Amino acid sequence: MAIKYSELVIEHFKNPHNVGTIDNPDAEATEGSPACGDQLTVYLKVDPETQKIEDIKFQSYGCASNIATASIITDLALGKSIEEAKKITWKQASEELGGLPPVKMHCSVLAVDALRSAIKDWEKKNLGKQFDESLTKKNVEKALQKVIYGKVGVDIISLKLVKYIGIDDENNVVIELAIGKDDSFLDDVKHEIMERMEKFDNIGSVKIALV
Amino acid sequence: MSEKEVYLDSCKTTKLAPEVLDAMMPFLKNKYWYPGSFTSIGTEIAEVIEQAQQTVAKTLNTEPEEITFTSGGTDANNIAIQGIMQANKERGKHFICSTVSHPSVLAVFQGLEKLGFEGTYISANKDGYLDLDELRDAIRPDTVLAAFTHVNHILGAVQDAKAIRKILDEADQKIYLFMDSCEAYTKVPIDVQDMGIDAISISAHKFNGPKGNGILYTKKGTKIRQTQFGITRVFKLKPGAINIPGIVGSAKAVELAFKDFDKTIAYYRELQKLLYNQLLSRIPDSILNGPPLGERSPAHLNVTFRYIEGEAIMMMLDFENIHVDTGSACSSENLKPNYIMMNTGRTHEESHGSVRFTFDRFVTREGILRTVDVLERTVAELRRRSPLGKKES
Repeated sequence: MAIKYSELVIEHFKNPHNVGTIDNPDAEATEGSPACGDQLTVYLKVDPETQKIEDIKFQSYGCASNIATASIITDLALGKSIEEAKKITWKQASEELGGLPPVKMHCSVLAVDALRSAIKDWEKKNLGKQFDESLTKKNVEKALQKVIYGKVGVDIISLKLVKYIGIDDENNVVIELAIGKDDSFLDDVKHEIMERMEKFDNIGSVKIALV
Repeated sequence: MSEKEVYLDSCKTTKLAPEVLDAMMPFLKNKYWYPGSFTSIGTEIAEVIEQAQQTVAKTLNTEPEEITFTSGGTDANNIAIQGIMQANKERGKHFICSTVSHPSVLAVFQGLEKLGFEGTYISANKDGYLDLDELRDAIRPDTVLAAFTHVNHILGAVQDAKAIRKILDEADQKIYLFMDSCEAYTKVPIDVQDMGIDAISISAHKFNGPKGNGILYTKKGTKIRQTQFGITRVFKLKPGAINIPGIVGSAKAVELAFKDFDKTIAYYRELQKLLYNQLLSRIPDSILNGPPLGERSPAHLNVTFRYIEGEAIMMMLDFENIHVDTGSACSSENLKPNYIMMNTGRTHEESHGSVRFTFDRFVTREGILRTVDVLERTVAELRRRSPLGKKES
């Protein structure tokens, strides 16, 4: 079956909005990495009084949908308050673009992730907020909500593909996945899980078992 | 898309040459008969098929009866590989293939492994050349077949069939050599006798022939079992309906490709050099993938543009009616980077930003120059958007 982009994706890819950097940004965040095939950096300028996003820019290393989703989330966030911008979801970003092919849904997740990380960066710096980013079952589950199963374009938690999350005293993590060993997306899902788990400080080994 | 099409993806498929269509038309419209004996219509078609076999045989330095027309390259791969493995299974169940073979060949071997056959996959170096020491080590007393892709479709490396044959001949038993020459045929000279090749697969649509038409060469005396069964009118290994317009079209495409073979190859080399020189001089941080120009397939170039991603490049070119291919994971169905790039020691990033350009006889100098113009703009624009590579500039 042919994978096709919507006209809006094509338009945002051809003429993306808010590309570039901000000198002395109030906050910034990078998600993804060249080794994973896509990377996005978001820069923010926030009015300290109103807490509104005055300016937002992005730089993207990635495919057409990566660029298009970055373009749309920066459009959606511009002019919004920090609290409003936090509520932008990857599903919303995809809908605003007239939908994304399932295999490309992870681009929308990356875009929203980069936006939320930039907002967190701002909250840490300006509001002194602390975030619980420790290695807990709850946080692992939260991280796995960002792993998309490319065949259907939905995250592995919503799809109930994660059957068990275990963390032992030495911070070794076991994740049981209900995905067939011959599934063509298995490697991608594993890769994404590892990428998400690497972000936890002091994490031990990560074992992904198929059940 | 108002601009004239520039199609640089012959390794995927090519357009039908007008002369090929002209040759096929009478057999689609009026000469719809089947081959047979005694009748005028039957013998006319039988002779047309014989003529087509002769045309192909001449280009491979072999005999017409060793040529079978199939329904594509994959069909030819299956008939040859499965047929040889099945026919010789009392002698052995081991085959040798490589980690850089074409997916259509690997798929046949994966199928055979499920049936109890065993394989050794030898590796290749960074340019895509097979490790011949590994080949030597891989040979077992029960090895029956070695099968390789002649021209690597991603890196353009031309495997040395003669050197492979020499190593296979060091074994105590006969080891058949099969070459998937779908990308090699019409681009590099193939002499099956000189190279010691026992079977070859060819695909007509890679050189301006009709789609769904393949050619199989099997050396006389090769122990091969039928894998398809039905009514055998002409080809023992390929029973069933005979695609006569396809056979005629394939033979015409062969004839056209070999009419001025040396001249055509020189033309490909000129285009390749032009594209390479222009790209590397005008676009910084471009890296050639695969062997240097003089060594690689003349109709093939693969370049990585650093800091950006290939699907985006491919789409930008598509907007301008220029068509190429990429090794980017983003353009694959399951988000995996190209396995040949990864198996030859490249990084995900190098595979990701790689673009493959492959030629047929309709590619022009003007087309190449327009491609470079558009690429120069595209790469600059995508790099402007990219967070990578900034510190170095």
